[in-house]
Amino acid sequence: MQKLTKEIQDTAKKLLEENKVDLVVGFAKGSLPLRSTPYFARTAEQAEELVWNQFCENNLANYLKKREEKVAVVAKGCDIRAIVALIKENQINRDNLYIIGVTCQGMIDRNKADELVNGKEILETETNGEEIVLKGKDLEQKAKVEELLYDTCTRCAYGNPVIYDELIGEEQPAKEPNFEDIEKFEALSAEERAQYLAKEMEKCIRCYACRNACPMCYCDTCFVDESTPQWISKRANSAKDNLIFQGVRVFHQLGRCADCGACERACPMGINLSLLTRKGVKDVKETYGYEAGLNPDDKPVLSDFETDDPQPFLMKE
Amino acid sequence: MAYEPKIVAFLCNWCSYAGADLAGIGRLQYPTNLRVVRIPCSGRINPLFIFSALRNGADGILTSG
Amino acid sequence: MVHGLWSIRIEMGQTRSITTKNERTVVHMSTKRTGSVLVLGAGIAGIQASLDLAESGYYVHLVESSPAIGGVMPALDKTFPTNDCSMCILSPKLVDCGRHLNINVMTTSELIDLEGEPGNYKAKVKTRARYVDPAKCTGCGSCTEECPVKVDDDFNQGLSKRKAIYKQYAQAYPNAYAIDKNKCLKFKNAKACGKCLKACQAEAINHEMEDEINELEVGAVILMPGFDAYDASKLDYYGYGKVPNVITSLEFERILSASGPFGGHLIRPSDEKEPKKIAWIQCVGSRNCKNDHGYCSSVCCMYSIKEAVIAKEHSEHDLDTAIFYMDMRTYGKEFEKYYNRAQEEQGVRFVRNRVYELTEGEDGSVKIRYALEDGSIQYEEFDMVVLSVGLEPKGEAVELAKKLGIELNQYNFCEAKPLTGINTNKEGIYVAGAFSGPRDIPETVMQASAAAGEAQALLSEAKGTLTKAKEYPAETDVAGEIIRTGVFVCHCGINIAGVVDVPNVVDYAKELPGVVLSTNKIYACSQDSSGQIKEAIKEHNLNRVVVASCSPRTHEPMFQETLKEAGLNPHLFELTNIRDQCSWVHMDEPEKATEKAKDLVKMAVNKVALAKPVQPVKLDMNHDVLVIGGGVSGMTNALNLAEQGYQVNLVEKEQQLGGIARRLHYGLKGEDVQGYLNQLINQIEQNNNIKVYTGQEIADVNGFVGNFTTTLTDGQQIEHGVTVIATGSQEYQPQEYLYGENHRVKTLLELETEIADGQLDKVNNVVLIQCVGSRDSERPYCSRICCTKSIKTALKIKERRPEAKVYILYRDIRTYGFYEDLYTEARQKGVIFIRYSEDNKPVVENVEDGLRVTVTDHVLGEPVEIYTDEIGLASAIVPPVENNQKLSKFYKVPLNEDKFFLEAHLKLRPVDFSTEGVFMCGLSHGPKNLEENISQAKAAAGRAATVLAKDQITVEGKSAVVDKKKCSACGTCEQICPAKAIKVDEEEQAAVVNEALCKGCGACSSSCRCGAINVKGCTDEQIMAMLSAL
Repeated sequence: MQKLTKEIQDTAKKLLEENKVDLVVGFAKGSLPLRSTPYFARTAEQAEELVWNQFCENNLANYLKKREEKVAVVAKGCDIRAIVALIKENQINRDNLYIIGVTCQGMIDRNKADELVNGKEILETETNGEEIVLKGKDLEQKAKVEELLYDTCTRCAYGNPVIYDELIGEEQPAKEPNFEDIEKFEALSAEERAQYLAKEMEKCIRCYACRNACPMCYCDTCFVDESTPQWISKRANSAKDNLIFQGVRVFHQLGRCADCGACERACPMGINLSLLTRKGVKDVKETYGYEAGLNPDDKPVLSDFETDDPQPFLMKE
Repeated sequence: MAYEPKIVAFLCNWCSYAGADLAGIGRLQYPTNLRVVRIPCSGRINPLFIFSALRNGADGILTSG
Repeated sequence: MVHGLWSIRIEMGQTRSITTKNERTVVHMSTKRTGSVLVLGAGIAGIQASLDLAESGYYVHLVESSPAIGGVMPALDKTFPTNDCSMCILSPKLVDCGRHLNINVMTTSELIDLEGEPGNYKAKVKTRARYVDPAKCTGCGSCTEECPVKVDDDFNQGLSKRKAIYKQYAQAYPNAYAIDKNKCLKFKNAKACGKCLKACQAEAINHEMEDEINELEVGAVILMPGFDAYDASKLDYYGYGKVPNVITSLEFERILSASGPFGGHLIRPSDEKEPKKIAWIQCVGSRNCKNDHGYCSSVCCMYSIKEAVIAKEHSEHDLDTAIFYMDMRTYGKEFEKYYNRAQEEQGVRFVRNRVYELTEGEDGSVKIRYALEDGSIQYEEFDMVVLSVGLEPKGEAVELAKKLGIELNQYNFCEAKPLTGINTNKEGIYVAGAFSGPRDIPETVMQASAAAGEAQALLSEAKGTLTKAKEYPAETDVAGEIIRTGVFVCHCGINIAGVVDVPNVVDYAKELPGVVLSTNKIYACSQDSSGQIKEAIKEHNLNRVVVASCSPRTHEPMFQETLKEAGLNPHLFELTNIRDQCSWVHMDEPEKATEKAKDLVKMAVNKVALAKPVQPVKLDMNHDVLVIGGGVSGMTNALNLAEQGYQVNLVEKEQQLGGIARRLHYGLKGEDVQGYLNQLINQIEQNNNIKVYTGQEIADVNGFVGNFTTTLTDGQQIEHGVTVIATGSQEYQPQEYLYGENHRVKTLLELETEIADGQLDKVNNVVLIQCVGSRDSERPYCSRICCTKSIKTALKIKERRPEAKVYILYRDIRTYGFYEDLYTEARQKGVIFIRYSEDNKPVVENVEDGLRVTVTDHVLGEPVEIYTDEIGLASAIVPPVENNQKLSKFYKVPLNEDKFFLEAHLKLRPVDFSTEGVFMCGLSHGPKNLEENISQAKAAAGRAATVLAKDQITVEGKSAVVDKKKCSACGTCEQICPAKAIKVDEEEQAAVVNEALCKGCGACSSSCRCGAINVKGCTDEQIMAMLSAL
């Protein structure tokens, strides 16, 4: 990690000093343990603040949209998939973007760490390769990093960036995308699924943190905020409307969602949001063999049409 | 009373709506539960229409085009 | 001199008939021509030609002998190769044609006399009494329910009954009934009946009606009477009419059709059992010299495959389908793939054989006795056998043609004059569709547009002289007004009121928001109701109108007309269908039907309240043409449009005009191609309306219909309103059969030049190999012309050296239509045909003094060695891929998988692109022979004229609108839009709609996540308002 941090700092400094970019978007150390925070470095000195560790969970693609200046970004696999998807949608100008790709083994889920230490306050962490030590008052708990990773990260097959201008870190072993979670849900009966979703949606307080964290949610006016026509109620007390909100979000994400899990990480109520988004990801992959954000040159799958596209949704006589 | 679902159909003017007309011309009888919204093309169907129909009390949606 | 001016047409720049002998055609011409055209026959050809002519400034009299327009298409179930429902794709054209202000549809009519000269004819048309006034008849059908007389329904091929008062088919135009005089009881005894008279509340029936004769002045005549199906009972070995469950293909179409006698349920008519095994017998009444039907009917192979595939889809169990054929002739665009799919994916069996006899088997089955290629006799039983009957000319059409002095061929078809596509021997009289030879729908439509193009060129000076336009009062401005809706609920006689409680619905509507008037009408569509609605609009100051009656698909334009006449914008209107989709389908549930009708009215009232006036969009347009490609197709097209008076820019990438035809010497019917070509080039060069650019390609393109700017490679810019792509194709350069290695192996075109130069006059053996580069995995299409071309070449060799041995190694001989005669002739003259299969291709080897070809003969089942002097390869027609891809991008027009240009619709829009203002013709569309290319070139001209004839581009205006504030410029709409009508503007950082191109389908709107796009006339708010009525 130290090595990666150094390499990132050096690269960023060089880019800024040589005026190749006006800004480097990366991570800095957070004010709390188990956290890093998005950080904007405009000078070589500021670049010294950049870090890389297993708490760099935010999707930095969010900060790159519709920028006029030249920007470099420190980006992991999922950030880059979102970036690719955003380039296709005219939200990011590739010519003005320098991608410092970082290979990624996954980020640590604070909730899992808290659970492990039974809610005791963690004040400090120390990482030794595949092991992490969580330290606090009367606390020194060792754990395997792998066991504390976000579920999203354990299922992720894109630890190696798909595009970059410069690559930092060791190549990660290839993985196949894993949809066991979705398959399990699909195996439930319609009633069980409805029940589960209703329960999840009852938690929603419509804070829209999921939407705001999502790199692909960038509409100026979200459909939930429309008044003519008013598609759904603006209040949170209807689980049905909450489900419509999430359902439409999934529709809007079809063939676009980079499966970064930002929505779920942002949710203060712990709603299983990736269940919905990943169902979309899985269906698109199974139907059209397409995954979002892998190739800047192909057409977004739902905007394209081939005569031999499968049409399982059509009713046959 | 037996369960009577309300069904909303979004039908493309050029094919399915014409098909529904033809059902009439042929006097094919079907339940009265269907309410048809004629649209210029099945491409016009915004997923939001489907959710909205459900919100407005529809029990099932038929889209055809 | 009014009718006596003799002029040499060449001097007038009006040469129409290009002959092969370089003769100048002198025709009697009057100074003034009549701007109307007589179109005989209202099948798909007649409809297409009428629409093309009416849209380009000519008045049309469309004369049809039956009571409705439509021809054969409405009776077909699905159409190949797209499997579109025939009626679905036809009905918009029926409506357009029927309602067109400049098409005078004359049903139950026929031409009885024609006098005059090209440009000025007097036509006598007899209209038989229909006994129902189409102006009064609302098509409600109450009469037919009362009529006691049942008659075999011809439309259903006699498989069901209709009444003596009838409508030809459900969607017929005119939407009016007719009385079958021979069957109606009242005509036998005036007092015997009269039930229809009582049933008809519109008073449309009149048994006293008399035949009428009208004299029409027309400038040109187009013959498109269509065809008759061959009468299969003439060939008794097929047992038709004797063996139960032997039916014709047309009967099978009706069985498959959802509107047919069995509602689309696949059963055999004799005992209504579901068949599990069906066979098709090909060439029934075709390719049979013994009964004077020596020609190939061209369409049966494809329709049989289609019927087999659709039958499998209809059948609930695993249906076994087998097609018994001699040669599988799937030569058209996308046909070969359709054949392959049927074979490989859908499991249709194909049996190459000769059928001897069909006899009755057990349990109503049919036993087929047939011989395989090796001569072995086989038997197989099927539950049902479909005879793929051929096409033959209609008796009446033949009689008429003879009366008019139109030459017919030996089969009584009106074959077009060589290299004209659609001209008869009489100037000013054209022929299109199956009457000029058996052909499928796309070719028929193409010829119809070609005939229209030819008539447009002939009559161009009279363009717009006889067409009509309607004037309307100024539109009332309703902006800011309080909603005042009038609701009119129709009884439709008893059609609605017999089920729905109309007064109840009327009362209910009174209470709905915005409604200031709610009333009922016996027939809302009648003339007097229209007047009453107009009065009500004035009296109650209505600014929104709802009619609850029948289908908007048939009646909306009529009611909108009423609004326009009352000074209201026609889009402040909503028609809700409480007949076809309510009273007729819920006849036993009057209460629930009434509730549904109320809901439907409420939905309409809610929707109309949010309606805003929609104004048509008008844009200036440039009337010049750009034709890309200076081959025969491009030149023919350019010449036609130039003769119509348009300025044409003709761009050719080579230094000289002519294209691939420069390598042709013998036409398929013996024409002197070089003589023809030179004359055509000469005409192009002499024509003042044509500017030729040689040695140029397209470098850049901007704009859209009416406003294109095309930049050539030398930087010149051409502004034009319409583009025609006629870039042609190339001859495949074979990699196989030692081509390029041994100089004795040549392509057919190379061989042709050598024959013309006399180099083959001493040859002893020639082998011609078919399907070189065609019908394989790399190019899974048939190149269509090679079989005929090879046979023509073989005959030419035989002609110059009768003792030469010529072998043709083939997979299927595809001499469709009258080219079958050449095949027959070649066999008679001793050309040897050996079939090979794709997986066992002939092998060519070098041997001393020549070449050895080894091929496995299917009759003998053994390899045959042929030592030969020359080999001719029937090399595929291949598209210039890079060039096509470039143009595809420039003009936003698609290519198919084979990289030929892809038309807007394979069936009904064969020369149009879905991008407006861009057309195509010739080999760029796909393989075709010279004759067909010429026809297609004229068709593209006929179609282009429909755009060029307009002063301005006018569209209805129900287009998409973008709210720039909400748009995030993501470009999804741009990718989705099938009309290429929306684009992200870099400057604005928002999507911009080109209203001239937008079709209002709304795909952009529903894919716009940001909600930035709405559709005029069908807004999100309106749909939500309808849903809120639930």
